[in-house]
Amino acid sequence: MIPEHKFINADNIEDVLRLLNENDNAKVIAGGTDIIPGFHIDSARFKEIELLIDINKIKDFNSIELADNHLSIGASSNFTQIINDPNVNKYFPLLVNAVSQIGSHQIRNRATIGGNFINNAPCADSVPALLIYNAVLEIKSIIETKEIPLSEFLLKQYQTALNTNEVVTRVKLPFLNENYSGKFYKLGRRRGVAISRISLAVLMKKSNGIIEDVRIAGGAVTPIGTRFTKIEDMMKGKAAKSDLFKEAAQKIGEQILELTGLRWSSIYKLPVVQQKIYQLLEEINLEMNSVNKNEN
Amino acid sequence: MKEKFNIVGKPVIRQDAFNKVTGQAKFADDYNYPNQLYAAMIRIPVSHAKIKSIDYTEAIESGLVAATCDSSDIPGAKKVGPIRKDQPVFCDEKVVTSGDVLAMLIGENEYELKQASKKVKVDFEELPILTDIEKAMDEDAQIIHPEFENNLIVHYPLRKGNIDKGFEESDHILEQTYTTPHIEHAYIEPEAVVAVPLEGNRGIKIIGSIQNPHTARKVVAAVLGLPLTKVRIIQAELGGSFGGKDDTMNILSARAAVAALKTKRPVKIHYSREESILESYKRHPYRLKYKVGFSKAGKLKAMKIDLLADGGGYSCMSPFVTWRSVVQATGPYEVENVWTDVRAVYTNNPYTGAFRGFGSPQPIFAQESLMDEIAEIAGISPIEIRKINGFQKGSVTASRQVLRDHEINLLKVVERAAEESNFLSEWNKNKKDQSNAPSFVDELNPIVKPEHFIHPSNNVKRGIGLATSFRGCSLGAEGVDAAAAYISVQTDGSIYLLSGLAENGQGLKTTFSIIAAEVLGISEDRIHYLEQDTGIIADSGPTVASRSTLMGGGAIKDAATIIKNRLNEVALKHFNITDYDVLVYRNNTISNTENNLKIEFSELCQLAFNSAVSLSAVGWYKGPNVGWDEETGQGDAYFTYVYGCQVADVSVDMSTGEVYINKIVAVHDPGTVINIMGALGQVYGGVTQGAGYGLWEAIESEKGMIKELNYDLYIIPTSKDIDKIEPIFIEGEDDHGAWGAKSLGEPTLELTSAALANAIKNATGKRLFNLPLNLEEVLLSKKLRPKDFVRESSK
Repeated sequence: MIPEHKFINADNIEDVLRLLNENDNAKVIAGGTDIIPGFHIDSARFKEIELLIDINKIKDFNSIELADNHLSIGASSNFTQIINDPNVNKYFPLLVNAVSQIGSHQIRNRATIGGNFINNAPCADSVPALLIYNAVLEIKSIIETKEIPLSEFLLKQYQTALNTNEVVTRVKLPFLNENYSGKFYKLGRRRGVAISRISLAVLMKKSNGIIEDVRIAGGAVTPIGTRFTKIEDMMKGKAAKSDLFKEAAQKIGEQILELTGLRWSSIYKLPVVQQKIYQLLEEINLEMNSVNKNEN
Repeated sequence: MKEKFNIVGKPVIRQDAFNKVTGQAKFADDYNYPNQLYAAMIRIPVSHAKIKSIDYTEAIESGLVAATCDSSDIPGAKKVGPIRKDQPVFCDEKVVTSGDVLAMLIGENEYELKQASKKVKVDFEELPILTDIEKAMDEDAQIIHPEFENNLIVHYPLRKGNIDKGFEESDHILEQTYTTPHIEHAYIEPEAVVAVPLEGNRGIKIIGSIQNPHTARKVVAAVLGLPLTKVRIIQAELGGSFGGKDDTMNILSARAAVAALKTKRPVKIHYSREESILESYKRHPYRLKYKVGFSKAGKLKAMKIDLLADGGGYSCMSPFVTWRSVVQATGPYEVENVWTDVRAVYTNNPYTGAFRGFGSPQPIFAQESLMDEIAEIAGISPIEIRKINGFQKGSVTASRQVLRDHEINLLKVVERAAEESNFLSEWNKNKKDQSNAPSFVDELNPIVKPEHFIHPSNNVKRGIGLATSFRGCSLGAEGVDAAAAYISVQTDGSIYLLSGLAENGQGLKTTFSIIAAEVLGISEDRIHYLEQDTGIIADSGPTVASRSTLMGGGAIKDAATIIKNRLNEVALKHFNITDYDVLVYRNNTISNTENNLKIEFSELCQLAFNSAVSLSAVGWYKGPNVGWDEETGQGDAYFTYVYGCQVADVSVDMSTGEVYINKIVAVHDPGTVINIMGALGQVYGGVTQGAGYGLWEAIESEKGMIKELNYDLYIIPTSKDIDKIEPIFIEGEDDHGAWGAKSLGEPTLELTSAALANAIKNATGKRLFNLPLNLEEVLLSKKLRPKDFVRESSK
């Protein structure tokens, strides 16, 4: 059963910042799809909460806006909003792909992008996509407004760099050169309403058969969503070929093993992740080749 | 030839549909009474313990509790059970399984009660925990119920022919072992019940999410020490049951009743999903050993079958569930020599009972997997092996029952399913494309070797597989088989109808209304189906075993026919003719076209009433005699059977083990279909549940404690996991019930897992033996379990 909490439906961002500053045990609530089930089962993570500050009424928090060099997504934009937004679809299709596989219609209508990474579960589906798009977060407190890359914001499982007096206001995605091609892959125990066992996002840019840039991120395979930058660097400047894709997949397997050690799930997950990374790279490459052929 | 029907077989929207989708239907938890109290359960977090003492002092001192309730408050039977009375209503002496309730706190405010329940101090001594069914019968095994000499709940032998001779005459002998897990019913509505004490020594009224009101009444009356008439059970709209709201609900009703009589106030018990999964019984896990001998051509010669079922902490329905297994264990095949042993044993695992399928899905998974293996050895197709061995008219079953008196449509359903799914050509094509690659998973080295990477173009394999079954209708020789129906026709031609069998969400009210309407030639919306109430309708046995349409339908038809016969007399007099054969009941009128005579149904009813003709009647339907010899397992087990065949078409991701269901073709012979919409619904639902059983679902308790307490961990299929389900009905002739309408509910579920296993084999070349065939099973042929099993949102 859910215990009673003090609850304030905030009218504006100033009130949110003030309340956060005044109350150490306050928590911002938007979709509530993590907090409410957490209350329901007495989760230790939410036990200290005394005050819930609802930000759903505040427009600044849930608008999606085009800026000069980036797309700015309000942190309390829900997944349905993101899925339906033409600009997210146009410029950041892997994010749409990722969040459209989260939960069910009902959950996507409530759950927010900010909640997804602030909760920082290893399986947060938006995280790999946001990481390969080099997402930057705008964070506000009563004292300052600052920006921090998502990769630095995520510290460890269920922990972020967010201070108790701060709130994430926006997610900024810098525009990409059009020559990128990518894929998102999710494996759950079933296809709908599934917690990710593996999520992967891959972006690649080629020139004359040589990889100019590649970005690979995984969720649910490491303690938190992670970019595999070492392997990305290894691949850059090399020919886009099966052997390289296999090598990259193996290296990522090794890195995951280093990060997690052998876990109960490793004998299944590790080989499967390698297969899927290999296949994603191979598929992206094949698609890019066929697009090039068509253009020629 | 089938009769020409007015509405039987046509699509009729269920009577309860509108109220359910608009939120107007009243479920058990929607009932509230003035002065109502709530109950909170007291449990301990172990599956086997001796209770030394329960100290309520602190809880009572908290001031939040109106009363406590334990076995000392029970005036009558302290233990209940359908056969063995081994399950305490309150387990304040011993706990033997995870959900056991020691006592209850009763109070006004539920949240406060939960807090107070943490203050109850239980002193207990942990006992050794028995979870391995194979060890239950060991000499040094912990005896779960010391009042019995060992952990055996029941043993059914079946002996036919000479098993040794059968194996000697065989060209091949194949031995395999299969396992199936605990399964949760996953009904949408968790358990809820309110007990209302009636003033003036009139006993108690209980409203609840109760599958079998008459069984609940029996249990509650025994616990309260009251005559049956002093316990009135009313069934609320039921949010699903699938066999799951029987024993658990009977005990919850008894607990609420004890508390209500003690406090003299209404008491409600309603469970969260977690409590529901924790305490309610599950489908039996089975360990199935099959040894089968057959000729070069694939003709079965001998089957030795050893089935072991996990009964968990209580015997519950185990004796009935395992009996169906012993009858059907060979599958729908003629085998001269059969030696079957089916046993159920006690363990400290979650206790097990009735669940749609009831002892059939387990052996079908094993035996239909086995048939495909036999076909492979014999070098013939899955269709051919079933044609060679399958039941036909005059075939003799393992219990030496000769199949006759109804259409034996086994081969017909198989052929139709094969035809609809283009089975043979697909099966051959997939087999050619089968993956013969060695597994890329190396347990010693988790890094994939370069030569083991699977190219995307080669990653998805198609597979097709089938499974077929025969299924005994209704209770068979396991119980008394009869049902009642009440009909009361009003002077305006509207009708009250009720049967002793209960609506469990399967659409029974609509089916029964159609049957009565067909007999009387009226539209079914003239019928008002009454609420299920043990005070007004006769005990008709439980609503189980896919028996409602057959048995209840027979009773409804009988009741309606009694009325029709009386109306005939009135009509003849009115028309002034003598031959009632010429009367036609159709379109709400009774007519005699020869003489151009006609009367509205309502007018005729008014006329009958004015002539002092009784317009209410009780119909009765009794099944033909069946029999069983307990020593040899021989006899006419069921009075009739139904046949089904399902074909599964899957895509398997060779690098993840993910199975996607492209299509299930489900061909069933349920006899005459009464409501085609209801029948289609049964297939869609049953196949989906069967697919869940095949690919995803499992309660994997640890030390007897259930970890999958909600649907974040207990994985049931969604609409995204199954593409197409294609139901096809072959309506075989049968004399029983209402125009030969037999059974459909359970056959739809029991076949799917075996069809899936055979399809996965066709795709991957890999035979799998342990349900569910989840990601790890398909890829590694084993199950993986976390040691730190915690819910994602509780970290």
